[in-house]
Amino acid sequence: MKLRNAVAFFALLVGAVLAGAAQASETIKIGLIEPMSGPIAAVGRDTLFAFEFWAGKVNERGGVLGGRQLEIVPLDNAMNAEKTTHQLKKAVDLGLRYVSQGVGSNHALNIIGFVNKHNKRNPDKSILYLNHAAVTTAFTNELCSFWHFRFDANVDMKVAALTTQMGLDPEVNKVYMLNQNYAYGRSFQAAARRLLQQRVPEAELVGDELIVPFGKVLDFTPFIAKIKASGADTVLTGNWGPDIHRFVKASMGSGLDVQFYTIYGGLTSSIAGYGGAAKSVNLKQVTEFHENDDVPSTKNLLPLMDEWQATYKQSGYSDRPRWLIEMLAAAMDKAGSDDPVAVGMAMEGLSFDGPLGQVVMRRDDHQMLMPLVVSSLTTQYERPVVYDGKDYGVAFSTDGHVSREDTSLPTTCQMKRPG
Amino acid sequence: MDVLVFSLFNGVLYGMLLFMLASGLTLIFSMMGVLNFAHASLFMLGAYFAYEVSRHVGFWPGLLIAPLAVGVIGAIIERYGLRPVHRLGHVAELLFTFGLAFVIEEVVQMIWGKVPVPYDIPDALKFTAFTWRGLDYSAYRLFMLCISVGIFVALYAFIARTRTGLVIRAALTHPHIVAALGHDVPKVFMWTFGFGCALAGLAGAISGNVLGTEPAMAIQLGPIVFVVIVIGGLGSLGGALIAALFIGVLDNLAISYDLSFYPVLEALGVARDAEGLLSDLVNLTTANIAPVLPYLLLVLILIFRPRGLLGTRDV
Amino acid sequence: MDWLRGLWIWAVAALALGVLPLGFDSGFALTILNQISVLIIFALAYNMLLGQGGMLSFGHAVYFGLAGYATAHFLNAMGSGAIPYVPVSLVPLLSGVVGLSFGVLIGYVSTRRAGTVFAMISLGFAEMATALTLVLIVFFNGEEGIQTDRFVGPEPFGITFGPDIEVYYLIAFWCLASVVAMYALTRTPFGRMCNAVRDNPERIQFIGYNPQRVRWQAFSLSSFFAGLAGGLHAINIEHVGFETVGLAQSGLVLFMVYIGGTRHFVGPILGAILITFMNSVLSDLTEAWFLYLGVVFVLIVMFAEAGLAGLLMMHEPIWKTELGLLRRLAMPYSAAIVATGVTAFGLVGLTEMLYFRSAEVTGRTVLALFGMNVETASAWPWIVCVLVAALGALACRATYPRAAVSWNDAISTVKARLAS
Repeated sequence: MKLRNAVAFFALLVGAVLAGAAQASETIKIGLIEPMSGPIAAVGRDTLFAFEFWAGKVNERGGVLGGRQLEIVPLDNAMNAEKTTHQLKKAVDLGLRYVSQGVGSNHALNIIGFVNKHNKRNPDKSILYLNHAAVTTAFTNELCSFWHFRFDANVDMKVAALTTQMGLDPEVNKVYMLNQNYAYGRSFQAAARRLLQQRVPEAELVGDELIVPFGKVLDFTPFIAKIKASGADTVLTGNWGPDIHRFVKASMGSGLDVQFYTIYGGLTSSIAGYGGAAKSVNLKQVTEFHENDDVPSTKNLLPLMDEWQATYKQSGYSDRPRWLIEMLAAAMDKAGSDDPVAVGMAMEGLSFDGPLGQVVMRRDDHQMLMPLVVSSLTTQYERPVVYDGKDYGVAFSTDGHVSREDTSLPTTCQMKRPG
Repeated sequence: MDVLVFSLFNGVLYGMLLFMLASGLTLIFSMMGVLNFAHASLFMLGAYFAYEVSRHVGFWPGLLIAPLAVGVIGAIIERYGLRPVHRLGHVAELLFTFGLAFVIEEVVQMIWGKVPVPYDIPDALKFTAFTWRGLDYSAYRLFMLCISVGIFVALYAFIARTRTGLVIRAALTHPHIVAALGHDVPKVFMWTFGFGCALAGLAGAISGNVLGTEPAMAIQLGPIVFVVIVIGGLGSLGGALIAALFIGVLDNLAISYDLSFYPVLEALGVARDAEGLLSDLVNLTTANIAPVLPYLLLVLILIFRPRGLLGTRDV
Repeated sequence: MDWLRGLWIWAVAALALGVLPLGFDSGFALTILNQISVLIIFALAYNMLLGQGGMLSFGHAVYFGLAGYATAHFLNAMGSGAIPYVPVSLVPLLSGVVGLSFGVLIGYVSTRRAGTVFAMISLGFAEMATALTLVLIVFFNGEEGIQTDRFVGPEPFGITFGPDIEVYYLIAFWCLASVVAMYALTRTPFGRMCNAVRDNPERIQFIGYNPQRVRWQAFSLSSFFAGLAGGLHAINIEHVGFETVGLAQSGLVLFMVYIGGTRHFVGPILGAILITFMNSVLSDLTEAWFLYLGVVFVLIVMFAEAGLAGLLMMHEPIWKTELGLLRRLAMPYSAAIVATGVTAFGLVGLTEMLYFRSAEVTGRTVLALFGMNVETASAWPWIVCVLVAALGALACRATYPRAAVSWNDAISTVKARLAS
């Protein structure tokens, strides 16, 4: 190592220690429990990027509570239940009062259970769990907890948005459903059965299939043949990972002419998985925003997205991390404290200007209510999907917006608040 | 009838893909008695190599270069990895290849990242070969079928009809006598292993663009290939072919006919609206569990006929 | 006299387990200790198959996980009052019985053969179990798994199992009890029979024993302890998910046992402690942790089939004869260790830089490596690492034979002493 580097490193170290000492009591730490190693580490890494980016924006503005900075503490759970528990204990040891997580409903359930127990046993060290992507509807119904706030739309809301758009789509006449046979896939199936009847009454359900999940199905051709035989014009699926991209790949070159309505078909990893098929498939996704939307409130976000892309070499896929950080900051300022109970109380009913209009944290069940957008994969775009600096030559274009009222569904939650 | 014909045809396609993988594995086993756990990882390497080559010089050169590269890697693995372990017995060899599979997966992630790579079908084969009852069959799938049939024929001819094949077969059963006749047995083993791996590499190169090329593909495909060679009878090429076709067709039939398990349960006196644990079973159909059927078959075969369909000896 | 000495070791172990948590004031450390204790039981149970019985299983986590699920359901049923109350401290026994039942059932069909067939059947059952955890939702609850609460009732002596320290002592107690039981088992005629079946099944048949039966019994007992470990795991984490029955969990225990050493009773214990600790601490430091684990495993399979414990126990006759003999080994051994360290330093540096370069997208090029800030865009760190690794490899070639010679010398001295 060169001497200059050593000196610079030393200076940095001393600076960091001094700054740390000055701010130790001031920074507000948010633990981010995600897979940072293992096969889907890229997802955890991207989430960490997003949290650091948006926390940085708050800090640039002067932080929260009159000058305190936000700090994101990454905690790797390697997509493993034991390690999630380990990291929660570590978070307690580090004195963290806020944790966030989103990848994997199993881990989310684990965290809700842990936080409920921990806060009951240690009321003076309570922890708030901010969920940015785990979508199991039960978390804001029968399993709802004061200590859990969800910033993503749950499965039922996403299905509600998809079916609302399908009701407006004249090409939807015969629908074939194919889902993964596990908790998430089944809750998708149940919600879709119910909502198709309400929102697309004229359409006929010509197939309803469950498959063994997580890449166990290697060849989707027999399913393609069944779909073809059923005469379906629309496929409605909650599949993700290899279960969506092999499905889409198999449909290409088989002459099957259907449109895919999906939740996760637009994830960058899925688009990478489609390969050449991405440019010809008729695939739709539901999200809280996409970069090519014409809505002014989305357009206003683009300068920030440019900055994001310049830093992390990827286009924007979700806006939830921004909501989470910004609303946490707003709730702290509103409560005038960083105490999780006070912040939780302040968070209830809080609203925020999202990319498609106002989003609201519902008081009754801590579910964020939001408008959603259904969009199609296209090769005609202004801003392409970019990931790790690679331009995939596709993007999304809006089919329709679904209002907050249309995506909001009733809850069965009976919230128990502390004190 | 349509459904049956379709399932048979499609099952053959899928089965031949499995066979391409299984052929290399069973060849290695029949020559060396080694069950290569890392075989699917070498298949994955073949797909990634072919992708890398196709990015620079196109698909067709990749079809040649990828298997060769994987074959050389295989030969190196045998020479410097397996051979020292050989004296410790077959379980140690199995463990070695198990660890190796692990290492290869990590290395692939290190080089190519964790998201799938966009390895695509060549433009020259992106047309519809024929249409039957409204469903198109892509030329590429037919191409895969031809390659795999070609491999079977060539392999069979090579082992049964050529002098080298004779030496290989002899080296397996009577290594000392073959060595005494002046043949270099370790070298025969090394090249056999390399050749088996090259076959896996070829399978990867021609199917990576259909299945998707990603780090998890090895772990998803590996166990099913084991099932094929164990059911077919370890060391039997013909058995592997039959088992691969059988599993391919079974998979397709299970999905197409979608039978419910309820009649069986009904006979046992279970009501359709049963509560609790049984409710899962009542709603279960063959399509739901198609990918699990081969494992069930594996367990049954190993219990009732451990030598497999055409195997000449117990595993 | 011999058993008295044995007792002495167990007493020390019990004392150590008793005072160990007093040194820590952190929930995280306690959780790691808990997990290590659970995995010690599991690893020893696994070694009853692999080391003592010669059966390589790719699916032993099935019994661990299924017992975990059963335990979670049991605790939940107790919590809701559906079944009568049983002290939580005794629940692990029930988990063991669950593991035992599955072991008896599946073991009956899978232990007819050893070796490769057994390994393949275990893989088949593992794949089926994993798929079923996702399909049978009522019992397994899919990928979300089962939540449970160990705080279910009036435990005797005012214990609630709320605080981690009480759970620690519960697990430590069962860990020690299982270790003693499994050790005792290796000393019984049955334990010897297992070894004999592993080494020469035909011969066993000639003497009039049924090797299948011995394997089946060993498998069932091993499943009992695996189940016990699974139950403790459920009590410790208060959550059981589908990954507990999966191939990854089975693979991890295989790594632990083999790296620790299958030939010696302490091997799996060593492996469980080392790998669990590394898995918790190293994985936070480096993304390449699994690669290192895999490479170490492959190297152990190739060059040290008896594992780390084997490497240590190679020297047992030497220190038993005369401690002073070890001093002769000190120099050549240190040289070999330094050479290994240097090679590893170079290779780890290269790997870390490669990982960093492949994962980094934000344009950063400076990597914090070995406490230094390394500029990966320049060629120098790469050249240095390659040179260091090459130098280390050369040093290894020079020093390893000398270490081997010194060991041989020491052993021949021992032999000479014994002969005289």
